[in-house]
Amino acid sequence: MKLIKYNKIAMLIMVSMTVISCAHDEQPGDSQLDYTQPVKTALDNWISTTYLNPYNINVQYKWNQNTVDNSRYLFPPTIDKVQPALEIVETIWLKSYSQIGGADFVKKIAPREIVLVGGVNLNSVGTRTLGIAEGGQRVTLFETDYIDQSDRTNVSEFIHTIQHEYIHILNQHKPFDEKSWAAITPSGYTSDWYNYEIPESNEIGFITSYARSNINEDFAETASMILIYSKAEYEAFLAGIQSPTALAALKAKEALVVKYFKEAYNMDFYALRDAAEINTSAVITN
Amino acid sequence: MKIKFIYKFLFAAVLALQLSACDNNTDADPKFDKTPTERINAQMAELKEALLSSPEGWKAVYFTDNTILGGYTHLFKFASDGTVEMASDFDESIDTQISEFSEYQIQLGSTVSLTFTTKNKIHFLSESDNYPIAALRAKGYLGDFQFLYYGQENGQIIFRANRNGQEIRFVKATKEDWDNLPKNFDMIPNVIGSSSRPLFRLLETNDGTTKHQFDFTFSPITRYATANSIETGYSVKFNFGVGYTPTGIVVNPGIQVGSQKLTDFVYNDADGSFTATGTNGATAVIKYSNKPLIITDDYKVMLQAPQTGFAYINANLATASSNSLLFNSLIAEIHASLPSTQKVNRIQFTFNDAFGESYITYSFTGGKTLIYHNFTVQEDAVNKKLILVPGTWQANTGAVIAEPALLKKVDAELMNPSGLYVKKETFKIAFTNTIYTFTSSTTNFRMTTYAFQ
Repeated sequence: MKLIKYNKIAMLIMVSMTVISCAHDEQPGDSQLDYTQPVKTALDNWISTTYLNPYNINVQYKWNQNTVDNSRYLFPPTIDKVQPALEIVETIWLKSYSQIGGADFVKKIAPREIVLVGGVNLNSVGTRTLGIAEGGQRVTLFETDYIDQSDRTNVSEFIHTIQHEYIHILNQHKPFDEKSWAAITPSGYTSDWYNYEIPESNEIGFITSYARSNINEDFAETASMILIYSKAEYEAFLAGIQSPTALAALKAKEALVVKYFKEAYNMDFYALRDAAEINTSAVITN
Repeated sequence: MKIKFIYKFLFAAVLALQLSACDNNTDADPKFDKTPTERINAQMAELKEALLSSPEGWKAVYFTDNTILGGYTHLFKFASDGTVEMASDFDESIDTQISEFSEYQIQLGSTVSLTFTTKNKIHFLSESDNYPIAALRAKGYLGDFQFLYYGQENGQIIFRANRNGQEIRFVKATKEDWDNLPKNFDMIPNVIGSSSRPLFRLLETNDGTTKHQFDFTFSPITRYATANSIETGYSVKFNFGVGYTPTGIVVNPGIQVGSQKLTDFVYNDADGSFTATGTNGATAVIKYSNKPLIITDDYKVMLQAPQTGFAYINANLATASSNSLLFNSLIAEIHASLPSTQKVNRIQFTFNDAFGESYITYSFTGGKTLIYHNFTVQEDAVNKKLILVPGTWQANTGAVIAEPALLKKVDAELMNPSGLYVKKETFKIAFTNTIYTFTSSTTNFRMTTYAFQ
């Protein structure tokens, strides 16, 4: 018995020695990783005060292979082109939604990151991808090197991209009435939408040819096209539609868009359209 | 008793643990004396230091894909504040303001990399909607601007493109490199070839003992050249990208001559040749020749009966690419001397007609009458040339006339005493008639004709 007891004591001592003996090992020093912040340029500071601080949106204009599709032949924007592009985005999109949806609207539902790509994202079939919205978190805008603020068509196309992608983000937060939408023009959807002229697509109830790719794109195209048209332009567009069924389809889709904005976000879609129109003119005449 | 054994064993185990517990050397066999982070940091610092170390910056001839495209020379001058000044010979028209500033970063991708993070000259190679040929649609010039760092060798920095692994070597640039970059553009017409030079071009390799000849074609839009052996039983071919330099060209992949790969060609304006010189007498030369690479027996049908006929028909063959510029300019000269309503209609050979006679018929549109020039046919059998020995000129009435000044120059080419090379071509133009070309053996004259038999 005694032997066992001593053993027990000796054992305890040895175990505690084992446990504490390595305690005097070197403590971890400073991190070897380079965590110093890169030097901020005037542009970086402008982005912080205009996007990051008020809206919690990060803007990436410097090339980062992890945020772009490396199988595409793209390139980052020219530095001088970044701020003008972001000013357009801010004025037409952020301001319009803030005015109508409330100051916090875009802060809550916005992509957390905007990625700018200078070059054209040409697809092998000859179409150009103008923007991508990924998982409601990131919007990539292409062709920022080619924005010409003195050219209304050019700016409209760029704005169209932002509006279109943001509609996707809104849809990714709260879905629209897909069932009702799918029932309006069920036979017009096609994967080779780019083979159709826009007026041809208009006459079967689609606002653009791209809208024919699927109902999600149709919704985004319908809403974003109405937003970039002025009220008068949109009325003129509808007046030009020959087919009564196409006209009825376009109006039914418009009604669903208006309903979606009201029910999902309690926003007056027409008021948003008018705000966007005013802000668009401000950008172009600048 | 049993429990006692257990304690004993435990005791032994703990004792053993104690004896080995504080052995600091946990690495079985240390391969590196630094941690991965330390090594990456060291590499990044090493790359940054190298980039900043050359006062005049770095030069790289970037071959984005040496199976279809040539090289684009870029000059870089890196600053410690993350900006880079760049110049390129990508396109003469956009490079009037030769250098531009943008930003760069040393990033960690699959390894340490140099990335040009905002737009500059190098990005022209990665512009999806600016592609040289249909096969590269949406792929631009296959360029990259994130270069993975693979170390240094002989003062050069070695990178590989992130996208396709193509090697890019940065060589220390000099002030002359910056000053002379526009001279790269001056080299382009020399590589394309001049219409004032002889009509045929070849690549000739010489390993010091044996010579081989290859035909040579160059596409300026892709900066790419192909050279196929013209010797039967020797099926070597070279496909290579071309980069321009102020003094010549650099090719990639190199031309294999014997055991050497030759890459740097020097231009000689006296004869328009490009020569790359290796050791032990090895050379590769791209040069002009008045003599076709392959000389045919196609002229033999013209030497005797039955009658044969060949005609240049202006309406169909004026734009034939097989006409030489000299020929086209001679036709233009004739047109300039004629009233505006009249043009050359045909220049037609008749060989060995029923009376055994041979002649050229010059016909015109707009009411101008025919003119004949008789000749006799001779052969240079050794050099496989056809020689037309001039005879009398006749009007459409049959009356003998003096040589018309209008046709003097073009006729002199056809009646060249040194003779003509004749080739039956494989291509057709507008009609199913076989195409024959008549090429001067001493000047840049080549006429395209339809065969009538």
